[in-house]
Amino acid sequence: MTGMETTAASPRFVMSGDLTQLFYRLAAVGLICVVLSFLNDAFLTINNLLNVLRQASLVFFMASGLTLVILTGKIDLSVGATVGLSACLAATMIKSTGSPWLGAMVGIGAGSLVGIANGVMVAGLRIPSFIATYGSLWIVQGITYYYMAGETIYGFPPGFRALGSGYALGIPIPVYLMAGFLFIGSFFARRTTYGQQIYAIGANAVAARLSGIPVNSRLVLVFIMSGAMAGLASLVFLARLNSAEGDIGESLTLPTIAAVLIGGTSLFGGIGTVFGTFVGALILTLILNGMNLLAVSANWQPLVTGAIIIFAVWLDMATTARREASA
Amino acid sequence: MTDHGLTTQPAAANASVLTHMPGVAFMLILLFVAFATASPGFATLANLSNVVLQSTILLIIALPMTLIIMTEGLDLSMGAVLTLTSIVFAAVLLPTGSYAVAFLASSAVGSLFGAANGWLIAVPRIPPFVTTLGTLGIAQGLCLIVTDGQSIVGLPPQLQLLYAGTILGVPVPLVMAAVAYLAIHGVLYHTRFGTYVPALGGNREALRQAGVNDSLVLVAVYTLGGFMAGVAATLLTARMNAAHPTAAIGMEFDAIAAVAVGGTQFERGNGWLFGTLLGVATIGVLRNGLNLLAIPSSVQVSCVGLLVVLALLVDGLRSTDE
Amino acid sequence: MRISHIMLAAAAMGAATTAACADGETIAVFTKNQTNPFFQNVRVGTENAAKQLGAKVIQYVPTRPDSIPEQLSQIEDVIIKKPNAVVFIPVDYKAMVPGVEKMNAAGIPVVNTTDHSAGGKIVAFIGIDDYKVAVTTARSLLNAIKGRGNVVIIEGVKGSLSSQDRVRGFNDVLKEFPNVKLLASQPGNFQRLNALQVMENLVQSFPVIDGVIAANDAMAIGAIEALDAANRKSVVVGINGTKEAVEAIKAGKLLASGQADPFMQGCLSALVALRHLRHQPVPDEMYLKPSVIDKSNYQQFDMPVEARTCPKWDDAATN
Repeated sequence: MTGMETTAASPRFVMSGDLTQLFYRLAAVGLICVVLSFLNDAFLTINNLLNVLRQASLVFFMASGLTLVILTGKIDLSVGATVGLSACLAATMIKSTGSPWLGAMVGIGAGSLVGIANGVMVAGLRIPSFIATYGSLWIVQGITYYYMAGETIYGFPPGFRALGSGYALGIPIPVYLMAGFLFIGSFFARRTTYGQQIYAIGANAVAARLSGIPVNSRLVLVFIMSGAMAGLASLVFLARLNSAEGDIGESLTLPTIAAVLIGGTSLFGGIGTVFGTFVGALILTLILNGMNLLAVSANWQPLVTGAIIIFAVWLDMATTARREASA
Repeated sequence: MTDHGLTTQPAAANASVLTHMPGVAFMLILLFVAFATASPGFATLANLSNVVLQSTILLIIALPMTLIIMTEGLDLSMGAVLTLTSIVFAAVLLPTGSYAVAFLASSAVGSLFGAANGWLIAVPRIPPFVTTLGTLGIAQGLCLIVTDGQSIVGLPPQLQLLYAGTILGVPVPLVMAAVAYLAIHGVLYHTRFGTYVPALGGNREALRQAGVNDSLVLVAVYTLGGFMAGVAATLLTARMNAAHPTAAIGMEFDAIAAVAVGGTQFERGNGWLFGTLLGVATIGVLRNGLNLLAIPSSVQVSCVGLLVVLALLVDGLRSTDE
Repeated sequence: MRISHIMLAAAAMGAATTAACADGETIAVFTKNQTNPFFQNVRVGTENAAKQLGAKVIQYVPTRPDSIPEQLSQIEDVIIKKPNAVVFIPVDYKAMVPGVEKMNAAGIPVVNTTDHSAGGKIVAFIGIDDYKVAVTTARSLLNAIKGRGNVVIIEGVKGSLSSQDRVRGFNDVLKEFPNVKLLASQPGNFQRLNALQVMENLVQSFPVIDGVIAANDAMAIGAIEALDAANRKSVVVGINGTKEAVEAIKAGKLLASGQADPFMQGCLSALVALRHLRHQPVPDEMYLKPSVIDKSNYQQFDMPVEARTCPKWDDAATN
């Protein structure tokens, strides 16, 4: 259809490999749930499960945009800082105009601007994405700190706060949003030309360019989407926390990357799905939730997160190798 | 023997110095001149000695990081491993009172993490970003678990001499950093092992065909990183006269920035060890100068990011001319 | 004078001095991070006091929050610039001792604020008695729930002295109320998001929580958000007296907040530093009187910190 000539990693192959991976992951989710329900009575309650979904949704918003970037073989380390900047700017707009919609526009707009900057550096100036987004992380962080000057912005209209802490038909609103973006994101990645081109670029950027895909503008696009999703995530954070501080996004970068990796998206590019990221976010949140319910000290969280990341990717590579060997 | 992509300078060295001076040297000189003009206290012996001293810990971990990046790899866990080995050093020093035993313990733990990183990257081929992200979490977790968030204090006061003392008039950290630099320089540019390192990044297949066990070399490179973290930990603990579970978290990013600013590339194995030294110096000068000018902390944060982007920009623009 | 309560200090210095003419001293102020409003209030306090007395303040904050090596480097850099005095909040009260000693060696007088350094020579310490404030605050909550029910404690940062003292205070007061059960005591790292997540989980594990005792206001507010989202009600208290806490008290969501008055801590620290430089007598320690902000007295704190002014020395001393 688009004249793509990539062979080993065309979306079709990717899909069948992905299904196996997804199956393993969903099985893991089921296993974790079963184990936790035995270990703690409070786990299998509706309230707790909805909580888990809501907490997972926050990670998912950021991780979904990041997934697109990683699919092209790049990385975006600035997501946490972008959440911070977007949140603070959106908060100011909401407080001064009282309109959550204007705040949303500002937040998503700010995130997109950061995304454009990242995209230009990576695609246009050919700076390796790791170091370019590390640099933009610090620049954005500094701007946020300067702007906030140590203050907190708080007290948002209740209608807006429902975005983060409200319920509709007994289910937290962020969960609906997550479902929506899961659908949109998966559709975009799988069924649109843009999405297929993104996979192609990740599989083999040279071949993609030779087959006529505008690699540079697609790269800029994925960075914009990563930034915009960070902007969106910041709104949900604002709604949930009912406040904005300069460091609101700092602690989020690691769990976000972890969710993408645990979800089976490969850093080499071309392999992975938005749904996989959703499952990855779910796995991570479930385990952290379980640890909390079992009153395991928070000191253990980084260790467990690190171990899961290694384990999940290791499993992926082992099963892929076996599959390729037997193919 | 073919050149495995090993370079001692990132650009052609015969044309005019100004157009072919590495980006980092340019930045360093620019910053130096700017700060010396703007701030009277900057270009004094006392202040510059401070900058040098403050940079020694970073240099000691940036050196092995250069080698790691030359293999097209990355070690995100260095800051956490540095912190953990600092804790081990303090925790062993307290009951035994023996610096030798404490150093043995801390460098062993560091080497262990390095070896684990190297193994995971070499054998199951888990990408370095993922592996070291995982070990970062594990090391950081161990720091918190072992100390429960508390500093370890009560160390013998002589420990501080390790950072504040001198050997033949030269400050100890400077001696250690110089020894480290010379050692890594010697290994990289004067041993056969040293030629394998960039080959791992630029042409791994050729290496294997030459009969070299590339996995072993990879493990060695990362183990070296962990070991050096253990060495740097002694300086860190001496500086604080304590160990703290979050002391050096995030320092690996400064090391990576120094290496990148210094001209070592993330792909194809080109590397420049002296560039890393310049990169470390540039970051140190930048932070020191901004402090002396009392630039607000928020602006400082952005400046560090700008430095990284600009240095890479300069290098990138120049390499497109060639 | 080894220990001097503020009252004694007042008696000793009552009519001694007021603002001297502008001497143009420079004070370097060290705080822990850029984002916690507590430290922002301290910074504003120091600048306010210094301006009144014709002196200058330079702020030093680590770019990486609470970074020990960075604060050590900033101290070394500051010594080159030789400020007249330093107001110092250590990022870690134990690990920063060498930093204090460096300043001592350079002959720069150090006023220690908020977290008492574990070593080094200081001109004076200004802060609150975290333990006493915690006791008073927790007691007001336990009285409000009529001495019976279930409570949870949300602690601060594990290695922080103020967190340790406050939690100790909470626990000691609990002993006075045998009919109150402590369900859990978990760290929230003094941060809103952490406390929110901790509270969300606690709400799942325990169907009835009557009281939440948080070691600072940010966490108390985070807990309130979690409770609201879960449609649960509890009595909540915090410590620090931030503006947001005052508004929450006004709105009836927060019962009380232990007074830490970081703005005042900043004022007094700068005042003490300047007095010391001008060879005027200063006490070794100044502890703000332990008190609690609640519905009855919040009005005086209901304003942005920039609108406040530092008291003159005599007024502060008599407080």
